[in-house]
Amino acid sequence: METALPQRLIQLSMNSLKNVQNQNFQLIQQNLQATQFLQPIPLKPRKEPAIIAAVDTSSIKIGETSTGILIAIRGANIWKQNRHYRYIRLGPFILHITEENKKEVYNSLQNALNPSSENHQNPPNLQQMPTRLASLLERWLQKMLSKTLNNGIILFDGSLTSGTPDTPTKTMKEILETARKKENTVLAFSKMTNLRLNGHIITEILPTHKPPYMLEAVGLRAKPPIVLFGDVYVAKLSNGNYAFRLDIDKEIPLPQKIEAVEKLLGNDLLAQGYPETLRLAHILCTFTANEVIAMQHFITRKCGVKIINRPDMHRLLFGVFGKGEANS
Amino acid sequence: MKLYKKEGNIVQILSFPNENVEKGDYLLIEDADAGKALIAQVIDVQFANIPGILEELLRGLPDGGELIQGEDFDPLEIAPHITYIQDASLLICKIRATVENESLSPSSSWLPSRSQSIIRKLPIPMLLKLARVDGKLPIQLGGTKDSSPLTIDASALDGRLNIITGKKETGKSHLSKLLISNLVGYKATVIVFDLNGEYLSLGMTADGKRNAYYDKIHVLTPSQNFRVALKQVNLHVLLDILIHALHLPGTSAREFRRIWQSLKERDMLNMHELGEAIRNWHCNQHVKDALFSRYYALVNSGFFTDNVAEATLLEECLFKAKEHGGAIIINLRNTSMIDRQIVVEYLLGKLVELLTSWKLKAVFLFAEEAHLYLRETYWDDIVTRMRHFGIFTTFITNQPDTIRENIYRQADNIFLFNFTNEHDLEVVSRAARVDAETMKSIAKDLPPHHCLVLGKVVKDFPMVAKVRALDIKTMGETRLFFTDTN
Repeated sequence: METALPQRLIQLSMNSLKNVQNQNFQLIQQNLQATQFLQPIPLKPRKEPAIIAAVDTSSIKIGETSTGILIAIRGANIWKQNRHYRYIRLGPFILHITEENKKEVYNSLQNALNPSSENHQNPPNLQQMPTRLASLLERWLQKMLSKTLNNGIILFDGSLTSGTPDTPTKTMKEILETARKKENTVLAFSKMTNLRLNGHIITEILPTHKPPYMLEAVGLRAKPPIVLFGDVYVAKLSNGNYAFRLDIDKEIPLPQKIEAVEKLLGNDLLAQGYPETLRLAHILCTFTANEVIAMQHFITRKCGVKIINRPDMHRLLFGVFGKGEANS
Repeated sequence: MKLYKKEGNIVQILSFPNENVEKGDYLLIEDADAGKALIAQVIDVQFANIPGILEELLRGLPDGGELIQGEDFDPLEIAPHITYIQDASLLICKIRATVENESLSPSSSWLPSRSQSIIRKLPIPMLLKLARVDGKLPIQLGGTKDSSPLTIDASALDGRLNIITGKKETGKSHLSKLLISNLVGYKATVIVFDLNGEYLSLGMTADGKRNAYYDKIHVLTPSQNFRVALKQVNLHVLLDILIHALHLPGTSAREFRRIWQSLKERDMLNMHELGEAIRNWHCNQHVKDALFSRYYALVNSGFFTDNVAEATLLEECLFKAKEHGGAIIINLRNTSMIDRQIVVEYLLGKLVELLTSWKLKAVFLFAEEAHLYLRETYWDDIVTRMRHFGIFTTFITNQPDTIRENIYRQADNIFLFNFTNEHDLEVVSRAARVDAETMKSIAKDLPPHHCLVLGKVVKDFPMVAKVRALDIKTMGETRLFFTDTN
């Protein structure tokens, strides 16, 4: 089941690209984003060796065709062991998504991820497809990591909130259960959060306490279908003004939670309070402009698509005041 | 290749890794609709400014000294496309000409289509054909980068001022020998001021046997087989020697003129009588001392003789060369600076005399490190007056700043070997026949024995050539301390 996803992605990629042959597509640009609450717990770095692993995925829209969009997704698993970082990077997978094939593409990937799942989500609209497909790949990579790693610290980008279209409850539950069985601890770091305490963003109202420490956010109630699988903390792991929302698997006892964060402190670099492993996972899967050009080159060569630049109406109408359609 | 930008006569062309274009190559930018094409020469190859390249490089930065180890599962094989884009280069090219109906014009005033133009490498033989670099007196200089021969015409050296320059041991003398032997082959008269004795074996093969030019190479060593009698010397030539080489003051020069006239009237022009005349001459003691010191300098040079029979070789050689072609090598090795100046002053004076009287038609003069023997006033003389008499000079130097700026400006041909020093390149780039960017950019990267040929010989299309080997005995090798004693 697990290894079927990359194969399915290649198949989907090739099939979807076949449909794009001899169609013109327009170049556009886009970006991504993420989300959420407090007793100070002082932390001490634990030097005993532990594997730190992280997962991240990235997606980008590389162009438009007359019938749909061309997107690319890529994911990376990175782990630090014996002071060295290693990685596995999957992709880029290029997909041509149209109104006609989006359901097929989305469901195929969902099936590959979780064939036993009965309540499949409806596919999102075309604009949301890149992030949703990247999320599917991310969940699959998280599952793989939680299954293959033993007694390690697994870092997720984002939160342990489920019940969103991106993160079905069942999938998240399975990932965390698998991780627990293998004695792994999942720590999810959110770069941005909307969680507030007394009207203030939780990461911005920190007490004067010497880092590293974490603060638990208590009294959080999620409305269905949202489910919080993690206890929510604000972690300030190094000096400076950077604090992050940190979700830790709810089912793990508090001492083990603290031990996991302390092992992270003892085994990974934490520049600006953010784990280097997770930073590298993000860096390795992010698409650079150079790669976007290369993928456009690949599509042009492989599928014979002639690239034309659709005039940017914002630029055209508003000149220097037009920020471009991707940012509109 | 894709046309990216044009500013003035510089075009920037985007080139991809498989296109393999290097500095010095010529490109043809054809615009079929316009029915014209631009000929541009690559003067620099830079990395194309690819968006996101910095992020790409930073991502691959080492993890504590090693690259991050990992595995890429890239089923669509996008990585080669990424590398292809990353390795794209930007060719900075100088427009040399426009081709229209197979004829060349130096114009760069039109703009070829960016989207429709086809850009391809222009093979050197085709360029030579287009530029009509041919003639009846071919001199094969060597091979270009695409292994095609580069042949110039000897007549493009005729009546021209040439400069061969480059740092030490890059092949300047080798090229000089090649030019000299070819000119001699075409029955030209060549005179070489040989400072280090490098040209003495021009008539010998590498294994010491006589070559085809053996009988046409005449080595004259001052004070040995090259001496002159006072009777053969014009007063103004001797005065030039006394004033310019031996710094005789004006008053003393006037007295010397009188002494000379007196001796000439009595048909007693010889060194012995000259010494006696100075001794007995009624004049100021300081003047007499000045004249005596110069007289002894002349005597000690060994260059002057009273035996007229010993002093005929130069003219004999020149007349022989006039008939059959030949090179007269003036061996200035082991000759002091003053003596060198005396010899050169005499020789140039003699040449002007023979050329003015049409006893000689024209001569090709090859002057190595001319600043070591050529007086200041001669530089202008050589490029103006002497040129009209028929002395066509080729300066050879590894110190380009020793040649005056006006010489560079008037040079018709420059054979430029490698220079790494900015200052040296700056000096040479003052030449009028090529732009400074081309010279600086290409000359820095020239390997040994490769030269950038500029000027009329290549119809102003700068070309890089590897100078071909010559079967000539090597001379003038530097004496070394750490040599094998076995």
